[in-house]
Amino acid sequence: MASATESDLISGRTDSTEAVAGIAVGLAALLFALSLATFFDVVSVTGTLVGVPVVPLVGGLLILLGGAIITFGIGSYLGYVETTPSPTAGLVAAVAAAVPWFVAGVSVGSIMLGSGSAGGVVLGLVTGAVAFAATAFPREDLGSTLPIGALSILAGLVLLSGIIGPEWVWDLGWEQQASLTAGFVVPALTLATSLYVGWAAAKAYGGFGARGRHVGAYALVYVNALSIVAVLVILLAFTVFRGIPGLLTGAEIGLGVGPEVGLFGLSVQLPVSLPFVMNGVALLNDYQGVLPAIVGTFWLVIGAVLFAVPLGIGAAIFLTEYAERGRFTQAVEVATNGLWSTPSIVFGLFGFAFLIPRFGNGKSLLSGMLTLGFMLLPLVLITSREAMLSVPDEYRDASAALGVTKWQTIRSVVLPAALPGVVTGVILGVGRIAGETAPILLTMAGGTFVPGSQTVDVIGGFKFTATPPFVANPELLQATSALPYQLFALITAGVGLGDSVANPNDFRWATALILLVVVLSFYAIGIGARYYFRRKLQYE
Amino acid sequence: MTETTNEPGTGTGQRRIRQARRFVDRTETGALVTVSVMSTALLAALAGFLAVSSLTIAPFALFLITAGYGWLRHQELTARALTLAMTASTLLILGLIIVFIFQASMPVLSYESMRVFGVEVPGLRMFLETRWDAVSDPVRYSMVPMIHGTLVVTVIATVVAAPLGVAAALFLSEIAPPAVRDIVKPGVEILAGIPSIIYGFIGFTLLSPWASRQFQTTGQGTYLFVGIVVGLMALPTVVSVAEDALSSVPESMKSGSLAVGTTDWQTMTSITLPAAFSGVSAAVILGVGRAIGETMAATVMLRGVPRLTDPLINVFYGQETLTSLIARNYGEADGLQMDALFVAGTILFVTVLIISIGSQYIEWRMRKKLGGEV
Repeated sequence: MASATESDLISGRTDSTEAVAGIAVGLAALLFALSLATFFDVVSVTGTLVGVPVVPLVGGLLILLGGAIITFGIGSYLGYVETTPSPTAGLVAAVAAAVPWFVAGVSVGSIMLGSGSAGGVVLGLVTGAVAFAATAFPREDLGSTLPIGALSILAGLVLLSGIIGPEWVWDLGWEQQASLTAGFVVPALTLATSLYVGWAAAKAYGGFGARGRHVGAYALVYVNALSIVAVLVILLAFTVFRGIPGLLTGAEIGLGVGPEVGLFGLSVQLPVSLPFVMNGVALLNDYQGVLPAIVGTFWLVIGAVLFAVPLGIGAAIFLTEYAERGRFTQAVEVATNGLWSTPSIVFGLFGFAFLIPRFGNGKSLLSGMLTLGFMLLPLVLITSREAMLSVPDEYRDASAALGVTKWQTIRSVVLPAALPGVVTGVILGVGRIAGETAPILLTMAGGTFVPGSQTVDVIGGFKFTATPPFVANPELLQATSALPYQLFALITAGVGLGDSVANPNDFRWATALILLVVVLSFYAIGIGARYYFRRKLQYE
Repeated sequence: MTETTNEPGTGTGQRRIRQARRFVDRTETGALVTVSVMSTALLAALAGFLAVSSLTIAPFALFLITAGYGWLRHQELTARALTLAMTASTLLILGLIIVFIFQASMPVLSYESMRVFGVEVPGLRMFLETRWDAVSDPVRYSMVPMIHGTLVVTVIATVVAAPLGVAAALFLSEIAPPAVRDIVKPGVEILAGIPSIIYGFIGFTLLSPWASRQFQTTGQGTYLFVGIVVGLMALPTVVSVAEDALSSVPESMKSGSLAVGTTDWQTMTSITLPAAFSGVSAAVILGVGRAIGETMAATVMLRGVPRLTDPLINVFYGQETLTSLIARNYGEADGLQMDALFVAGTILFVTVLIISIGSQYIEWRMRKKLGGEV
């Protein structure tokens, strides 16, 4: 990690110094990876690694690591190593060192004297204070290495000596029974210690002082960014990996295997059959699917967009072009931001209390659409407003100089110029609401399994009636399903699922995968559109 | 200041009236009539909708017709009136949310009222007792267990999201080379895009059993892991708001510091972060708001038994949060229990609204301080 920030200045120093600190950084990275592998059960705490039991191996490595960093610190203090330390390691480093030593003191005290006793806390305060002083008062090369190196050696000794062995369990003795086991404590301990020592080693690698702190901080920030991306990749890969088998159940490719699709009177037989997305649930089906939920999500999004996008863009136009700044615009801004951060379940409650009595006293597609529309509105308003504000005033002045009215300026100059931003914002907003479960839970959702015959057909559902309101669409006023709700229902249904589908777990993961694909395709389009428009603007 | 504005109230009032009169004089009568009919029809439709009247369609149709006519004949004024109405709709929606969820939570508040020094305080018992039981006597709807759960989850989520989010924002705005930034930034956005039910599903199938095994708890569901998952979900909010704040620090301030010979990191800690401090704290506050309102992951991963953990810091047991209470019980609830769910919603809504307004105030102050546009 630190090599990424290596500069000419640093690489000009002697090789041997670099080697010691570099080995320490590498060792810390190795232990970091090892602890993650243990968390993910790739490496078992009770198992062995290259012929050595894991726990003592980790302990030995921790001792080695602590020894290396302390050696480096003392070497620097005695002048064997050329560094540029500051007079003190600083307050941040002191607090950072005091915290783990406090935790170590409390843990040791609690294990020896029983949990919840005052003795543990006292011991923790003492060790924490000593660590604080040991970091803050000596010169930086000692202060930032000794306490942390000692911590690493202590952790290593605890693991190596078998005080915490593979079968170690500490019952916390609480009313609701809970224990800490080696399976959690060993990797957690290793993770924290390796991060600390890695930080100290990176500082040493940079030769302490301002440059050393720079290298140390950059190492941590890079690890953080890398971890976030890694978490994302793991989440996505895991869902795809688990979802594919269910999705492909009964899939066929070949002429004439798919269902017939009628469009404008023409009927075409698809060359692909993917029962999971083309079927509903029925007794006689060979393979069950989630088609009604997909169609439900589709109509839900359409309805929310039809409601929220005109409102949001109109309001953005008024706020940026017509209104003078005053109480009213301020109130609208506060209300918009308030709506943006309102929890989705509160929108659900609101839809339940406000919309359901007004649309036939039952859960309905229309209520779901409007509830999601309420949620989408602030997103559209905020992004459209930003896009319109970023249109340069010269455009407006040039148009006004031609003698056209304000509305014509807005329509033919401001809106086209702001369109890329507005479109991107709407797409990202739609991606967000398409995956929302909580609001439709209370306003729209139907059953766990929806028969294919209940797939909504909004366009075909319009009818004229003799009583007010003269237009009726029973399809809009029915409860239907949507992908996020379907997944929720499948999870909560638990074991009772077995009778309806052959493999409930595959079915669940496939539903999750389809939902993820639907939502992330909105995001991909939105992010792609923004990237495209930005490139285009840069080159023009 | 001229003499006419000695009394500011009447002064601005008179000016408003004068402005309005001039506006009426200048505008065509036809346009004025159209817009007036349109607005009246819209208000009537709104009133009808609120009153649950089936005749709502009539004024709404009239509104559509006049709007269409106005669009063809008097586009300038019609557009202005329509956009004004659309702007007012955001205020209207917020107002309706407040009215409806408060109204729905009233009955249970009076049921749970308590007498303190001879004064009847509605709803007090919900916050003093800890018993939630909708079935067996005495029926009580205490919010304390759920508030405790939400608090524990939010604290854990903040501990996860705040440092990681601010570090990631620093990385994106100050450290990352453009090529890396182009990968990490969409990554953070996609992290925000993954539906919460999928986080919940993964937590439910993987994390909960793992935690139950490792911590040897009876049954599944821990606040610790719900907090971590929710923190992960609040992370993108923190990152994007904090990044905006950091990049709004004027480049001249940073260059000035670098010119004195500091390292990049020194510039960040002693110039950029302090200057953007209020914006960064607003980001953390908004992240807290997201964490409080997170529903589905909590619903799927928690036990659904409303009670306090024992002892209170026992994060290895996850009972119920305000959000998951609503999502789990809406189905079978009716009467007072449903109203109690609305009380939970009200607590959530008010808390998050205060958080939102507070963070806006902080951001507004920061922009003022940095001398940008307010």
